[in-house]
Amino acid sequence: MTGAHAAGVAPREADSASASAVKAMQAEGRHPEARERYADLVARHQRRASRIAFHYLRDGAEADEAVQDAFVKAYTHLSSFREELPFEVWFTRILINGCLDRIKARTRRERWLVSAPEPAPGQSDFTDRVAGGGPSPEDQVLARERRQKLASALSRLPDRQRSVFMLSHYEGCTSREVSALTGLNESTVRVHLFRAIRRLRTLLTDDGSARQATITGGKRRVLT
Amino acid sequence: MSLLRALGRRRHLDDAAFSELWSAAAAGSDAAVATPDAEHLESCAACQARYDAFTDWLADARVDAIAAADEVFPSERLAAQQSHIMRRLEALERPARVIAFPKYAQPVSSTRSGPQRWIAAAAAAGLIVGLGAGELLDLRRGPRLRPTMSEPEAVTQTARGNVQPVSLNSDDALLYDADLSPRVEALQALDALTPRVRDVEQPR
Repeated sequence: MTGAHAAGVAPREADSASASAVKAMQAEGRHPEARERYADLVARHQRRASRIAFHYLRDGAEADEAVQDAFVKAYTHLSSFREELPFEVWFTRILINGCLDRIKARTRRERWLVSAPEPAPGQSDFTDRVAGGGPSPEDQVLARERRQKLASALSRLPDRQRSVFMLSHYEGCTSREVSALTGLNESTVRVHLFRAIRRLRTLLTDDGSARQATITGGKRRVLT
Repeated sequence: MSLLRALGRRRHLDDAAFSELWSAAAAGSDAAVATPDAEHLESCAACQARYDAFTDWLADARVDAIAAADEVFPSERLAAQQSHIMRRLEALERPARVIAFPKYAQPVSSTRSGPQRWIAAAAAAGLIVGLGAGELLDLRRGPRLRPTMSEPEAVTQTARGNVQPVSLNSDDALLYDADLSPRVEALQALDALTPRVRDVEQPR
């Protein structure tokens, strides 16, 4: 799981150095240079940030806004950034807090409003789906169905379990990093991860989707 | 070997055991290696096969989740997002400006020159002083100009002086005048056909 990030130590140090440089430029009043340097940091982290925000919010537009807000907030509060902490961890914490705030606000809103049925995330026009040279429409439908079921099961997890599972499994964070991001104890992170997987497994098995065989890319794969 | 361990080895592992093994391995914990479940997994081919399927399922879940997010955020959207962020950062450093009301072409400027301000202030002060002085003068002159008689009396006298008594003969005279001289030539022919007031009154 952490293999993807094992080779990422040097970039992380580089990120922290960049963040410190931006902080120094801000202090000296060299704002255009600071912004230019910060743009590199944005480019390096925005895909991962967008992914995390989307996993939390399940809405592309809202995730986009959350990512923008997080980057702007990080830039304006860069004076409070401590060099000993990786920029990635510091920034992700800002992002997650923003996402959780948005979820709270959405829950409050939904108490009063009846939401209209929305298309599945990432659902595009039928012609786009059919005319594309990618996987067949059948595969796309199956994949989308599987993703929806997984997302639905994930949304039924308690907040902490979901956060720990997403950060550990999707983003490849170590339990120490997840601990730094969520403020939970490392052993608590492990317990939440175990419970999240067990619960997900139960939810998807009950749903009948975990025990179905799927055909992906011409290869028959049994999920359980 | 304890009875518990022997039992643990004999019984096949369930999903909970797999979850525990996987999460311990994912967290990089060495404690998982020494558990009875881990030992059973090493020795039982059936459980090993099921554990492989379990890890495949988790890997698929990860791939699906990442694919779903990447589908929503293609490169173009990320580029647009970056430009939005940079624009917002740039806007943060610019001072706030007053937006002109659409009626006026030029923006409203809050920094007028000193003389202009003084002129405007002096004009406003002059107006206020003038109005105040006017009011004061009115107050001083007021009592001297007041009439000595009471108000109802004055009103009655004024009415008597200006309004003439209405006589009924004047209406007839007016009509006669109108009959005698039709002023519009184009209507004279029509006028000739119309009976006159005096013609109508003669039979009386």
